Amino acid sequence: MFNLIHSTTSRRAAGILIGFTFFSPAIAQSGADDGTARPWTFAGYGSLGVVHSSEAAADFSANVINPGSAGHSKSTSYDVDSRLAGQINYTLDADWSAVVQVVSERNLDHDFSPAIEWANVKYRVTPELAVRLGRIALPIFLIGDYRKASYALPWVRPPIEVYSALPISNSDGIDLSYRWRAGAGAVNNITQLSFGRTSLPISQTAHARARQLTGLSNTTTAGALTVRASVMTTTLTVDIAKPLFDAFRQFGPGGAALADQYDVANKRTSVGAIGFNYDPGNWFLMGEVGRMNARSFLGDKTVSYLSGGYRWGSVTPYLTYSNAKSNQATRDPGLPLTGLPPQLAPVVNVLNSQLNGLLSKISVQSTVSAGVRWDFSRDRSLKLQYDRLSPRNGSSGTLINVQPDFQSGHPIHAVSAMLDFVF
Amino acid sequence: MNFSKLLLQTLGAVLAVATLCASASAGDLVVIVSAKRPATTMTASQVADIFLAQAERFPNGDNATPLDLSLGAALRDQFYIKVAAKSPVLVRAYWTKMVFTGRGLPPREMSSSVAMRRQVAGNPSLIGYIDSSALDDSVHVVLTIGK
Repeated sequence: MFNLIHSTTSRRAAGILIGFTFFSPAIAQSGADDGTARPWTFAGYGSLGVVHSSEAAADFSANVINPGSAGHSKSTSYDVDSRLAGQINYTLDADWSAVVQVVSERNLDHDFSPAIEWANVKYRVTPELAVRLGRIALPIFLIGDYRKASYALPWVRPPIEVYSALPISNSDGIDLSYRWRAGAGAVNNITQLSFGRTSLPISQTAHARARQLTGLSNTTTAGALTVRASVMTTTLTVDIAKPLFDAFRQFGPGGAALADQYDVANKRTSVGAIGFNYDPGNWFLMGEVGRMNARSFLGDKTVSYLSGGYRWGSVTPYLTYSNAKSNQATRDPGLPLTGLPPQLAPVVNVLNSQLNGLLSKISVQSTVSAGVRWDFSRDRSLKLQYDRLSPRNGSSGTLINVQPDFQSGHPIHAVSAMLDFVF
Repeated sequence: MNFSKLLLQTLGAVLAVATLCASASAGDLVVIVSAKRPATTMTASQVADIFLAQAERFPNGDNATPLDLSLGAALRDQFYIKVAAKSPVLVRAYWTKMVFTGRGLPPREMSSSVAMRRQVAGNPSLIGYIDSSALDDSVHVVLTIGK
């Protein structure tokens, strides 16, 4: 079950699934008036977006595992936020159900081949307690488990400093969710406990593997207020910089100490976050603060945002401020050159500068975003958004594909337009 | 003294019943359950919790399954605005989030108030909302919402 989905076969399965869903008649959520609920339902969502970025020395991206190419690769790019997803629900009875969601979005293979976002079987033990087995969305951060369904979000994309801190959105394993009430029934809570693992190929040779991925989250709803507190811990291995750290290990205890400090090899990575959303109908205010500590070159960051909007009929202007700061130094003197044989000094110099290249990718950045969402018809919305990113302290922030001539410390302007739909 | 207190209580009870009935005047939106269920009232937030899949039980602990009117029905839009302060777009966004996190599916849909009433009347675990002009004694009103 845990290895239910693996790359090639799963992609093929996903392709077949997408084909099937497009050629079968669309199934509505509704049942017939005779009172029988249909066992199969199909639903989907999608976004078609374009992004223009003013930064020519790096690419603007919402997420490192869905690499966008706006800025350096192309001045205007459609691949930052565009995606298409289909979901099939099967309901056997009140207690047993199953779901498969397939998402096609820009991936690390630089194409849009569909992948299985989640596939799980759910057993409802009681109306309050449910168990799911399979590939499950991670309920970390306020909107972590539905961030791809952009129609459900007020913005073009979730605040990048916060949501790029946790690029993975699912795990293969088991989760328990328990619904309970407090305050004489006025406060609804859902507590979710999950355990699983996930693996992701980053390149031909490198992988990211998260094992013993354990998450606990509690979502509280009281009237217009929703609060979610979540924690997650995992043993993470990302071997993308393994050659660099193997090289450091050739240089005695000093080099080994640097490799141990920064390499992502079985490092305990933890994430904790608390967020709120207050939405009485005509306006909303939401905010989150979280910390992600990878105990490695992936950084120890505190991330936060605050966003508000006003619904003026079908038009909703919004404003967001988001920030990421590093709790560890984003530069390291590296191995001292003194006392090295002269022929080795340039080698160590290169290693040190590569290490600092990695550390400069720890996001230290703030962004101000202003945008507007227009619900111009049922199930479709149009969004326009301006982002002013300010990476600082030598960091390249949330940008990817950073070129040698990139300069930190100046604002970057990005403009996005997006059509969201659900079906 | 005792008599007048009793009279007042009786009057109060009669008035309360009368208000309940009278408040469901023609053209109101009423939330209904089967007449096979005990006659009780529910608050707007209790009703909203069931319709938004935040609760799967009636306040007394019985299983509860909501029914909707068809997408685009004016009564349906009014229902969610009054009970949950959600416009049709917000309801759609809400279900987008629930469906695509596997936390629930939207209620089954009925084509009219009459179809809804018939369905609810026959099954004590169902809860629906109809125009009060479609009311009869096969269902109980648990909440009356003015239009």
